[in-house]
Amino acid sequence: MRKWGLALALALSVPLSACVQMKQYADVQFTPPQGDYKLLVLRPDVTVGSLTTGGMVEPRADWTEQARQSIIAAIHAQQAARGGKVTILARRNELPGVSAEEVAEVERLFYAVGQSIVLHKYLGEYLPTKRRRGLDWTLGEDAVRLGQKTGYDYALFLHAEDQVASRGRVMLGVLGAAGCLVGFCYPNVGGATQLDYAGLVDLKTGEVVWFNVVQASSEIPGLKFGELRTPKGAAQMVDRLLGRMKPGQAVREAQAREKR
Amino acid sequence: MCIRCLELSRRSLLVGGGAAAAALGTGVAEARVRPNDMVPLVGPGYKPVDKDEVGIWQLMERAEEEIAGSNLLINDPELTGYLRNLIGAVGGPAARDFRIYLAHIPDFNAMMFPTGFGVIFTGLLLRMRNEAQLASVIAHEAGHFLRRHQIRSWRDMRRKSDVLAIGSMLAGVGGAAGGVYLGDYVQLAQLGTILSLFQYSRAMEAEADAMGIKLIAENGYPPMEMPTVWQQLIGEERLSARYRNKRRRRGSLFDSHPSPDSRLADLRLSASEVTVPGRGYDSRRARYLSAIGKIRPMMLDDQVKLNDPGASTYLIQTLAQDGWNGLLRFYEGEVWRLRNRPGDEARAAQSYAAAVVYPDAPADAFRWHGIQLLKNGRSAEARAAFSRYLTMKPNAPDAAWVRQMVG
Repeated sequence: MRKWGLALALALSVPLSACVQMKQYADVQFTPPQGDYKLLVLRPDVTVGSLTTGGMVEPRADWTEQARQSIIAAIHAQQAARGGKVTILARRNELPGVSAEEVAEVERLFYAVGQSIVLHKYLGEYLPTKRRRGLDWTLGEDAVRLGQKTGYDYALFLHAEDQVASRGRVMLGVLGAAGCLVGFCYPNVGGATQLDYAGLVDLKTGEVVWFNVVQASSEIPGLKFGELRTPKGAAQMVDRLLGRMKPGQAVREAQAREKR
Repeated sequence: MCIRCLELSRRSLLVGGGAAAAALGTGVAEARVRPNDMVPLVGPGYKPVDKDEVGIWQLMERAEEEIAGSNLLINDPELTGYLRNLIGAVGGPAARDFRIYLAHIPDFNAMMFPTGFGVIFTGLLLRMRNEAQLASVIAHEAGHFLRRHQIRSWRDMRRKSDVLAIGSMLAGVGGAAGGVYLGDYVQLAQLGTILSLFQYSRAMEAEADAMGIKLIAENGYPPMEMPTVWQQLIGEERLSARYRNKRRRRGSLFDSHPSPDSRLADLRLSASEVTVPGRGYDSRRARYLSAIGKIRPMMLDDQVKLNDPGASTYLIQTLAQDGWNGLLRFYEGEVWRLRNRPGDEARAAQSYAAAVVYPDAPADAFRWHGIQLLKNGRSAEARAAFSRYLTMKPNAPDAAWVRQMVG
């Protein structure tokens, strides 16, 4: 009886142990781009690795390459549906009139600003001066200059990292689950983990107008929620990350007033 | 419950933990690695084949792209060319595949990445007294690549963490099934794993030292210069600690590198082993000094501003073993002036006065010499020093003020 109780508890805990979390922030005045806009997607920063039995991450070049291509294809498909013109950089030197070094500088700047956004919006170090002000960060003049030189309206920065549980890791979880039968219940050794974030920068003002983080992880190895190395998983990620852009607070309030 | 049980379990715990650590160990004792046993494991144009190594290389190529574009790099073509030629000489079979970057960071450090690119800190260039010393550090770093250390230690870590994860899980499940608690064994095995990882890392460093000393000897650098680098580091650490009323830290089980003391001892033995009697060795000091000459003032300036008077004094005195000059005397004065304890001002004044005698004294030596003279009421001499300062540096930020002082 006790064994069945444990098995039941385990079965119940399974759906809870693989979770996908999303949280987006937007500038109060932000309206998601629609119709005739030009979007520049900077080189997606993608890493896919394998989670070893012992819990280390082994980077995998082939999976990373597959994932990068699948993600690029998924962004193209998604943005075409919105009506925008999209350019996705695969390399830093692909932008006419802008040197690879300038592109790198903007990427690094976004990386630093993005870290600050994550720290102060997601990790709990909230800033009292930025309360109720939506997303209040900017890349400044560098981004505006990039917009002037290239004629793009927006720049999108995307980071995705995915760790796929190796066979050994899954076996470790199975062993832990088997232990439940003898009273040493430890199936949740930690499995696949994915962290994706993206930021949209308005190249007319230089401001970061929208930011989204998707975090997905399964406590039990073997449970999946969309692997980036598969086209389906990549499309799912792009949809989770970029598919549901919400307008900023001021815009939403205005829309609500109009409805009334 | 029973006294005997306790005793038994204690002993078995120790035995079990020791066995676990031994099982995880790679059989590498902390003995000196003989230079003659070190053969390069990669040839020219090495490219990885195994999928774990291919993955790491891809990641490292991205890292190199970022490092190569960093604004901390010194991109002076003469200097970077000099470093490239140096690794091209002592890099063994992979000599032509290495890339080397010079970062403006005032620390004693150099590193090699798994794909064959290295980063050297300016703090290292400041500390080296001749080309042989720099070559020995570069050859050590090249040794890491030639002996495939990064992938080997990565695999070692993966294997040990796998064994530990499975072992802990089996201990838990098996223990629960058999009704015994094995948690203490698991913890001991964990400690054993961690210790063996550090030990493996130290063994790799010892290999790189042995490989490096062989490479520099083959290139005609005096092998004894390699232990001298460590002797200098030990001296610097000791004096730095003494000035701060601290004791120099000794090695521990948790070190990733062998302690400088054991390195020094091992390297001295290795150096005598690889020295061929009758062969001529050259430390190529003049060539080194002319290569780094233009950034030496900057590097000394960085060093004295680290607020580590013990290390700075040691360093300057070590460099001065090859002869004092105006630059070294000036920065000797700066160390005292910036420390600013009772008596330091007089020491600084002496150094500035000594500095201005040398033909290579920097303009700032005359400025500070002038200020010290002025404080001591020797205004006529001070004026002469200030005039000299203005002639050397007419556009100095404080030129207007100094001009007014000269009157």
